[in-house]
Amino acid sequence: MTEESNGLPQFVAPEPASRPGSEPSGGSGSEPTRPAPSVSRRGLFAGAAGTAVAGAAVGVGVTAGVMGHQERGAASQPGASGTDTVDLTRSLPFYDQAHQAGIRTPPQRHCVYMTFNLTKDATRQSLQVLLARWSAAISQLVQGKPIGPIEPSRPDAVGTDTGEANGLAPASLTITVGLGPGVFDDRFGLESKRPALLAELPRIPSDVLQPELTGGDLSIQACADDPQVAYHAVRNLARMVTSTAQTHWVVLGFGRASAGPGQETPRNLMGFKDGTRNVSTEADYEQFVWLKDADWMTGGTYQVARKIMMTIETWDFDRTSDQQQIFGRTKHEGAPLTGQKEFDVPDFTLRADGGQHVIDQSSHIALVAPENNAGVKILRRSYNFTDGLNAQGLLDAGLLFLSYQNVPQHFVDLQNKLGRFDLLNEYIRHVGSAIFAVPPAPRSGRYIGQELFE
Amino acid sequence: MSRKFRGVAGVAVAVLALSTTACASSAPTTATSATASAPAAAGGNAPVTNGVAQVKVTLTNDGGDKCAADYTTAAAGPITFTVENISASAITEVELQSELKILGEKENLAPGLPASSFTVTLDGGRYTLYCLGATPETQAFTVTGQAAAAPSGSTATLLNSGVKEYATWVVGQAEEMQTAVTNLRTAIDSGDLAKSKTAYVNARTFYEKIESDVEGFVMPGFKVDDNKGNLDYLIDMRASNLDEKVGWSGFHAVERDLWKSGRINDATKKYAADLDANVAKLVVVVRTLTYKPEDLANGAAALLEEVQSNKITGEEEEFSHIDLSDFAANVEGSRQAFAYLQPGLEKIDAALVKNIVAQFANVDAAVSKLRDSASPGGYIPWTEQNRAKHRKALSQAVLGLQEPMQKIAEKVATAQ
Repeated sequence: MTEESNGLPQFVAPEPASRPGSEPSGGSGSEPTRPAPSVSRRGLFAGAAGTAVAGAAVGVGVTAGVMGHQERGAASQPGASGTDTVDLTRSLPFYDQAHQAGIRTPPQRHCVYMTFNLTKDATRQSLQVLLARWSAAISQLVQGKPIGPIEPSRPDAVGTDTGEANGLAPASLTITVGLGPGVFDDRFGLESKRPALLAELPRIPSDVLQPELTGGDLSIQACADDPQVAYHAVRNLARMVTSTAQTHWVVLGFGRASAGPGQETPRNLMGFKDGTRNVSTEADYEQFVWLKDADWMTGGTYQVARKIMMTIETWDFDRTSDQQQIFGRTKHEGAPLTGQKEFDVPDFTLRADGGQHVIDQSSHIALVAPENNAGVKILRRSYNFTDGLNAQGLLDAGLLFLSYQNVPQHFVDLQNKLGRFDLLNEYIRHVGSAIFAVPPAPRSGRYIGQELFE
Repeated sequence: MSRKFRGVAGVAVAVLALSTTACASSAPTTATSATASAPAAAGGNAPVTNGVAQVKVTLTNDGGDKCAADYTTAAAGPITFTVENISASAITEVELQSELKILGEKENLAPGLPASSFTVTLDGGRYTLYCLGATPETQAFTVTGQAAAAPSGSTATLLNSGVKEYATWVVGQAEEMQTAVTNLRTAIDSGDLAKSKTAYVNARTFYEKIESDVEGFVMPGFKVDDNKGNLDYLIDMRASNLDEKVGWSGFHAVERDLWKSGRINDATKKYAADLDANVAKLVVVVRTLTYKPEDLANGAAALLEEVQSNKITGEEEEFSHIDLSDFAANVEGSRQAFAYLQPGLEKIDAALVKNIVAQFANVDAAVSKLRDSASPGGYIPWTEQNRAKHRKALSQAVLGLQEPMQKIAEKVATAQ
C-alpha cells in the first residue's frame, strides 16, 4: 500500500513558506489558483481584521507541519528548513478544468470519503438532478461560500446550508465525484455509456472485505486543509439528496499519507514515509492516470478506494529492523535498504555476504516497484484514519488507500501480488473496497456527468 | 380511524415511480443554449401564447448570482414562468409570491438541467419574484387588469378545513387511548401478567400517534420546569429522562414492572391508576387544542424526528422492545397530519405531495418487512440483535421521508 510507482528518483523540493500558486509546474492539467473570492466566508472577517488575506498566510498558515519536521531531523531532509505550510485562503476552481480537482491537487491535510447507494426509487431524472445539484453546490463550496441561505428570510423555512463552515476559509477544498458500476446497470438506461473498464473489482488474495464497507453507486472525496470544511461539504451534499441516494460507508481521513508533486513525503501510521516514488511528472499523469480517447470520460480516470485496518499495537511491538525489512526502507530517512537517502534508487539485485537479497523480495517496495511490474505506476492519494478503539480496546486505525489510474487492472495486478506475498500482510487487513469512474470536470453552466443524459 | 390512511396509500401505488425533480411536473421544454447573461426585461406585458402569458426567468452568474425575468409585467390570467439556470450555482429555487405567500414555484434548480416551468393564474396587483440565493433575492412583478373569479375555494380554505378535521381526529385518538388505558388498569388490578402486557401494547399506539400535539403539555398552575404538572412526563417519561424529584410514572413505569421484573405489585397498580387519571386529564386538554396548518406540518416532521431519534435506536421501549409498534404509530400520526393538509398542499406543490406519498410508501415497505404476527405489537422485538440487522434500512427510509417533509411547514404557513 505504500511505495513504489515511479521509475526514477525525484528530488522533492520543500514547499515555500507561503505557497499561493505552488502547483505542479508545467502541467496542462494543473489547477491554477485564484485569489479567494470577495464574498467568501473568510471575507466576513476581512472588515474586522483589515488584513485577512495576509494574516491568513502568516498567522494561520504555519500550523501543521512544523513539529513533524523538527522531529524528522534537519539533516535527513532535502531542504528541511522549508515548512509544509497551509494557506487556508486558497481556493481551487471547479468549472472549466481538464480534470476534476482532488486527483492531481497536492493532497490537503484532511479528507472525508463517503460512498452512497442510489435508492430503489431513484430514476434517471433524479440521478440527473443529483449530479446537477451536487455540481452547483460544489462550485459554491470550493469558493468558501455556503450552498444557499443559512438563515432563511421566510418564517418556518429550513436553511439550505447547515452553517458550520460559515466564516471558515476555502482551505483548498476539493470535491471529487465518482460513479460506481451500479450507475450503469439496467436501472437508468445508461448501459451504453458505461466507462469501458468500469467493473466491480475481483476478489483479491488476503481480502477480508466487509459488505458494509464495500462497493457503492457514488463516491465523494472531500479534501481540505481544514477538517470542518471537508466535513461540512460531505454533510451538505448528503442531506440534499436523501431520497435519491443513501449513505453507504465513510472514512474520516485525518492526515495525508501520500505525497503530491512538490510536497515532502508524509508518513503512514506505521511511521514509514509513503509515496516517495508516487506518480508526479506530467508524462506519468498522461501515461498512467488520465483517460484519453475515452468518449465522455476523456480527461477522467478510475478511483479505487480501500479501507485498510492496521494492527497497530502488534506493529509497534515489532523490532524496527524487522519493520524495515518488511518495507524495504529505513524508518527515519526512508532510504531503500540498498541506499543512503530517501530518493536513492533501490537495487533489488544487491545481495549481502550470505547471498540473501538486501531488499527482501517479498518486501513491500520490491513487490510494487515499477521495475518489477513492467513499468506500471498508479497515483496514490491516501489518508490516515482512525475509528477510535475496537471492541478489544485496541487502536482502530489504518490507511484509507485511494488510488487513481486509467487502467483499474494496474491496481488489481499490484494488489494481487501484495495480497499473496507482502510481508506487511501480517499487520494489515483490507476490510473495505470500491471502484468508481471519475468523469472530467464540467464546463461552466454544466454539471458532472451531464454527457450521460445527452 | 384510518380514513385518510387508505386514501394516501391508494395514491402511493400510482406515483411510486415518480420522484420530485426539477422536471417532474413541468411542461416539457428543451434546454436553451447557454447565453452569457440574462437579457434585460422588455417593456410592456409578457406575450401570450394559447391564452397563457409567457415569462422567462433566467439565472446567471456574472460575479454574483442573478435572477432575471424577460418581462416584469403581464396581463391578469394564467401566466407560465419558465425557469432556466444557466450558471447560478447558489440559486436552487424560484417562487412567485404575494407578500410572503407562495403562489407557485420551481425547486431543484441547478446549472445544466433543462428549463422547467410552473403556471399560476393571477389577478391584477403587485407580486414578488423570489429567487432563493440570488442577489437581490426579490424583485417586483406586476399584473395588470383583472382575472376571472377563482372557480373553487382558495388554498387557505382547503388547509383550514383539513386542520379542523385533524383536530377532531386527535380527540378521537385520545378518547380511544382513555379506553385502552382503563383496560390496562383493569388487567393490572386483576394481577394477570399476560393480559396486562397485551393491554399495554394496545394502549401505547394511541399516544404515539398524537405525541407531537401533546408533548410537553403543562397543566394549568404548574411551572414549565416542574414535571409534576407535565402530562407528557407523567404519561411517557423514560428511564433516560427520569426526574428524581417526581420519580417513575406512566407507561414506562408499568412497562418496567411487566417486562423487567415480571411482577405486578402495589406500586404497579398505583402507576396504572395514575396513568388512567392523567390520560383523563389529557383528553380534556386535547379537546381544547386548536391548530394552524403549519402546526400539522411541524408535527408531522416532529413525529418522524421522534422515529429517527428514539424508536430506531430502541430507547423508547427499553423493556418490552415493542419499539417497532411505536414506530408504525408515529409514522401513522405523521401521515394523518400530512393527509389532512394534502388537498391544500396539492394546490401549492403537487410534485412535493407526490414525493412525500411515495416516501411514506417506502417507509411502510421497510417496516412491513419486520412484521411478525406472533410478537406483541405485530412486529419483531426490537432487541439489540435485531436493531443491528435492520436499523440502517429503516433509518435511511425515514431520512428519505424527512427530507421532503421538512419543506411543507413554510409552504402551508404562507398559503393564500
